[in-house]
Amino acid sequence: MKFTKILIGLIAVGLMFSLNSCGKKETGPIKIGVLLPLTGHQANFGTMEKNSYELAKEEINAKGGINGRKLEFVYEDDTGKPDVGRSAAEKLINVDKVPMIAGGYSSSVTFAAAAVAQQYRTPFLVNTGSVDKITQPEDFNLTVNDGDKFYIYRMNPPVSEYASGLESLLSEVVKPKSVYIIHENTAFGTKGAKSFAKTAKKLGIEVLGQQQYSAGTVDFKPLLLNAKKANPDMVYMISYVMDAALLMKQAREINFTTPKLYVGAGAGFTMPAFKENAGKASDHVVSATLWHQTLPIKGAKEYYDNYVKKYGGDGPDYHGAEAYSAAYVVADVLTRCKGDYSKETIKKALDNTDMMTVFGPVKFVSYGKKIHQNKMKTYVVQWINGELKLVWPKNLANAKFEYPIDWKKVWAE
Amino acid sequence: MEDKNKKSPFVTKVELGIIAFAIILPFIFDSSPYFQGLLIFVLMWVILGTSWNLLAGYTGLVSFGHAAYFGIGAYAAALPYYHFHISPWWGLLTGGIVAVILGYLLGIVVFRLRGPYFALGTLASAEILRLIFGEEEWLTNGHNGILYMTTWVSKYPYYFIALILALGAIFSVKFVMRTKAGYYFLSIREDEDAAQALGINTKKYKNISTVISTFWAGMAGAFYMIYMGFIDPEVVFALHNISIITILVGIIGGVGTIWGPAVGAVVMVLVQELFRSSIFGLAPSWVSGMHAFVFGLLVIFVILYMAGGILGDWDLIKKKLKFSRKVETSK
Repeated sequence: MKFTKILIGLIAVGLMFSLNSCGKKETGPIKIGVLLPLTGHQANFGTMEKNSYELAKEEINAKGGINGRKLEFVYEDDTGKPDVGRSAAEKLINVDKVPMIAGGYSSSVTFAAAAVAQQYRTPFLVNTGSVDKITQPEDFNLTVNDGDKFYIYRMNPPVSEYASGLESLLSEVVKPKSVYIIHENTAFGTKGAKSFAKTAKKLGIEVLGQQQYSAGTVDFKPLLLNAKKANPDMVYMISYVMDAALLMKQAREINFTTPKLYVGAGAGFTMPAFKENAGKASDHVVSATLWHQTLPIKGAKEYYDNYVKKYGGDGPDYHGAEAYSAAYVVADVLTRCKGDYSKETIKKALDNTDMMTVFGPVKFVSYGKKIHQNKMKTYVVQWINGELKLVWPKNLANAKFEYPIDWKKVWAE
Repeated sequence: MEDKNKKSPFVTKVELGIIAFAIILPFIFDSSPYFQGLLIFVLMWVILGTSWNLLAGYTGLVSFGHAAYFGIGAYAAALPYYHFHISPWWGLLTGGIVAVILGYLLGIVVFRLRGPYFALGTLASAEILRLIFGEEEWLTNGHNGILYMTTWVSKYPYYFIALILALGAIFSVKFVMRTKAGYYFLSIREDEDAAQALGINTKKYKNISTVISTFWAGMAGAFYMIYMGFIDPEVVFALHNISIITILVGIIGGVGTIWGPAVGAVVMVLVQELFRSSIFGLAPSWVSGMHAFVFGLLVIFVILYMAGGILGDWDLIKKKLKFSRKVETSK
């Protein structure tokens, strides 16, 4: 019987908390949920994005907030796991009662959480999760004509388009004959590898091999030795941050100097943490990117500088810019809701979004199998002397593309 | 304790109370689907923990790879849906059966091993399955996972399905432990060679124990697919998040007790969620990273000071509490 008493006690505690979560509304801040990986393998990205949301929030509130009310973000940690992401999204919707969710870092987590948002008819503004199917209604038992029933919106381009900016660089300057693809075996990695293999075919580049590894791998030498044996003109890697750094470090250790180019598919390869961990081995590595602070976009440089001023260290890469801009899209959407912050009104406002952010213009359109997808250009960056420089397209570049590269010289102490 | 008395009724009054309480519980949290969701997770861990407990706690076959059966049950529900659009609900029929078949097949290999080698063998089989299901994309969609838009938004139906499964698991174990087979399980646990020498067909009874155990693990997996609507190999074949947690649920609650895993499941979900949500947002956010740490401490404490688990050492705990409070026993 003592047992039941304890259980009753527990319930009482539970009830207290559940009562706590409702109450006070209308004049208080407008709360919007943000789903990010704040611990675990992807914490590097999640932290940069959270910092950027906070930076944007402070600016927005300093300028008067949303129709006189303050904007507030409620963060939930998805720990980089799809199942946790789903519970976290449910908590945001059911406990915090947010009318809208933003964020979404890894493809797998974002996709799994998107299904929850869709089910609860809660608008979800995705800022990074990039696997194509996130904005394809057919994967949610809907069709492309069901825009009014589809609650997922995405700011960043899908992973199949990440390398589009890279194509002209390859066909005009590097002209590689062969490529070796190494990727993480998650949704982001496998889909990215598949679409790059397609791109390679289109450009007449032979794919000599393709290898995958799972998250948490620390020994990449067997993989790299296989790649070395194949002797490709270029190595294309789709990795998060620590794996990206280890790949380059170990490529240097085994003297894999024959490729003309090492290319990363964004994600880890543009992060300051990549440079910090790979050190010398990060130099001259090229990566696809969605943004760079020197792009001629109003506010891009200011955002970069303000971030460095506030958080110190190296500045943000495209992940931060995505999150910062997503916060501004949220603010814009809510302002246009004019006091009615219900899910349906927010969804309608999202449909009519047409604004400029530091990440570029944001407008949700339909094409192919996708709806509610923002269209964007992508660019190419290169690590030159420890700094991430925009090298392609030529007319926007802030540094000369270092090519050809003598890896023996670059990697020498 | 009454539970241990052979002549006690199959369902005791305390158990009836717990069942009645479990039926009322979701209605108490009517306004909070979030808490109802946590309760469903508790029930899912009750099923898994109870399943593991029969094999490890009663039969002495300490499985470190329960994720294999859980995962195969989940995929038994998911794959027909993915390939042929057959509702995953059929998984509640097939999940357990497929897991039993797998358990039997793996048993051919791992039952040749004993003690730590058995543990390692089961651990390896789950890892092998995880890798196969991750690599064979044509069959399983690999690491992209399988998504299913769940049938209901309301938690009630899921709660009661989970409750039925959990009670089914608990009482099937209770039932079998009151039969002859149950005593054979115990004799295998205590000394397999001696049991064999006494004429017990140990292989047969190890298989019986495995059939019941893997069936419930597979059902838990199928339920997970139906309820969560998303699985991938890293989630359902996870070494840490499924196999190890299953063991910890058993150990904390009490190895070789009927209701032990249920208690362990409550503690585990409570600790995990308290910390994951930074004690419901009352504590600073760094607390959210601590749940594994605190759970680890709890396990160390249980193993060092009450090796029987919370229920297994319940008498001991009661005695200590009474002694320290200097309350006289009324017996």
